[in-house]
Amino acid sequence: MPYRTHAIVTDKDKCVGCVTCSMACPTKAIRVRNNLAQVDEELCIDCGTCMEVCRYEAIRPRTSSPTDLKKFKYTVALPSLTLYAQFGKEFHPGQVLHALRKMGFDETYDISWMCEMVMGATDAHLSESTGPWPKISVTCPALVRLVQIRYPDLIPNLVPIETPRELAAKLRRRRVAAERGLDQSEIGMFFITPCTAIIHSVVAPVGLEASHLDGAFAIADVYGPLLKSMKEDPGSDPVDTVSVRGLRWAMAGGEISGMRNANSMTVRGLHDIIYVFDRIESGTFQSVDFIEAYICADGCVGGGLTVAGRYTAQRNLQDAYRLLGDQTLVKEEKVRSLLRDHFFDFEAEIKARPVKPLARDLREAIALKREKDALMDRLPRKDCAACGAPDCETLADDIVRGKAQLSDCVFVRLEAFEKDSAARRGGDHGQ
Amino acid sequence: MKPPNTNRRAGGETLTDEVLYRETFTIIGNDFEHGGEVATRIKGILKVLGLPADAIRRLSIANFEAEMNVIMYANEGSLELAVLPRAVRVTVSDRGQGIPDIEWAMQEGHSTATAEMRARGFGAGLGLPNIRRNSDEFSIESVVGTGTVLRYVVYANGTAGS
Repeated sequence: MPYRTHAIVTDKDKCVGCVTCSMACPTKAIRVRNNLAQVDEELCIDCGTCMEVCRYEAIRPRTSSPTDLKKFKYTVALPSLTLYAQFGKEFHPGQVLHALRKMGFDETYDISWMCEMVMGATDAHLSESTGPWPKISVTCPALVRLVQIRYPDLIPNLVPIETPRELAAKLRRRRVAAERGLDQSEIGMFFITPCTAIIHSVVAPVGLEASHLDGAFAIADVYGPLLKSMKEDPGSDPVDTVSVRGLRWAMAGGEISGMRNANSMTVRGLHDIIYVFDRIESGTFQSVDFIEAYICADGCVGGGLTVAGRYTAQRNLQDAYRLLGDQTLVKEEKVRSLLRDHFFDFEAEIKARPVKPLARDLREAIALKREKDALMDRLPRKDCAACGAPDCETLADDIVRGKAQLSDCVFVRLEAFEKDSAARRGGDHGQ
Repeated sequence: MKPPNTNRRAGGETLTDEVLYRETFTIIGNDFEHGGEVATRIKGILKVLGLPADAIRRLSIANFEAEMNVIMYANEGSLELAVLPRAVRVTVSDRGQGIPDIEWAMQEGHSTATAEMRARGFGAGLGLPNIRRNSDEFSIESVVGTGTVLRYVVYANGTAGS
């Protein structure tokens, strides 16, 4: 079974073995071998970059299928706030929820109010925490994976508060079970996701033993049917739970915009995350209380499984905000009492998954490091990726780890070939 | 094989230790644009060599501070990384203005940073004390008008400073 724990599947028939995904992968997790892109499970953070750059549709998200709904007696769809942002002023959240329910769910459940709850819980956590600073949001699951792999020292900085989608699913499942006399396992909770990273967080959650969600559908897959349905049927489901303040969560900067603590920063996109997080590890930014960071440049509205595009989606959200004003639904006392009940807490420890050293023994690791440096002198440094690794340095690393060989490099092979034929010609002259 | 390297401990006694791995990095004064890159590169090296996470963390903090000190106060400098069997030693030498009063500079909050440096978030006067706090051995020598040599050692199994 290929990569069962990841959110991304490679289609062997469609993959032509080009190296576009390998070169684009931010964690250098992809190698192309035998004309097939192969993902290193330990390095993949499920950001979905490979899927976005693939021109052959060979990389697909592992989304749920409509038949998955049949496994449950009662199904609930929990849309990411980014779903609302896909549609302009003409369609409000109530219509989206209505049309979504009609697609085959028993109910839809809005999570914007839970986003507002978590803003409050985070504020409370910041005011009580003794550090280390800055605290880092766990909203973006790809970021959490990146911290596990690349910044394991920053795991204690992660805010130990579960995400709104998981908390909402946990809460709603309990209530539905009580209201309808069902066993919790008979209820299917499905997220409507803007990205692959969230799918991964359902399959292999961090900070939880098991996800409170049972699966996820891509916004891109429900968008067309929803639009058609809303045009045909203007019906609307109740929206008394929709928190306009919570809605902002879909955009980078939204989480902190609803918080009282203003000593915070928003970091957008992987490039900037690496810049900032390298410095956090070196002890800078300790004067900042809270950092929200998204692998996608503008937050969830930029997710790889969306349709509207992050600029349109942000405009739609701004419109909603202007139209409805800064409505809040959440009472501070409610948040505090839930905090005391540990409702928001992580259910499992977040583990480090650091880079493997070249060898366990220091001397051996140094010998391999030298070998790698020497290999770099032999490689062309063209970073052409024709060998299957994304760049020369990664190939050198793979070679010393025994996962590749120098002859994988086409330039090295060409050089050997030329030398060989020159020698042969030389031999001919000599005769 | 390189001959064993002799150096002076902060306490004054001489320690002979074999240098298993050595690499020298150049740091250019006032090069704020690339500030922190040497510390980041060293962190990558120490990770693939498999040094304990706590040692890497402390070294990263110290290296970043030392690198920024060269960028802020010197014309140019070098940072030498030396991996020893059970420790990592870093020597940062710079050609620059030097430090007139080391004792004063070693106190938290004491800084000669300009307004521009402070505007960039530096110059809180925590650099040198922070390096000392995160290392197990620490020494500094400076000649006004010539430059500064900073040397610190982090034990690969120690917990000091954490």
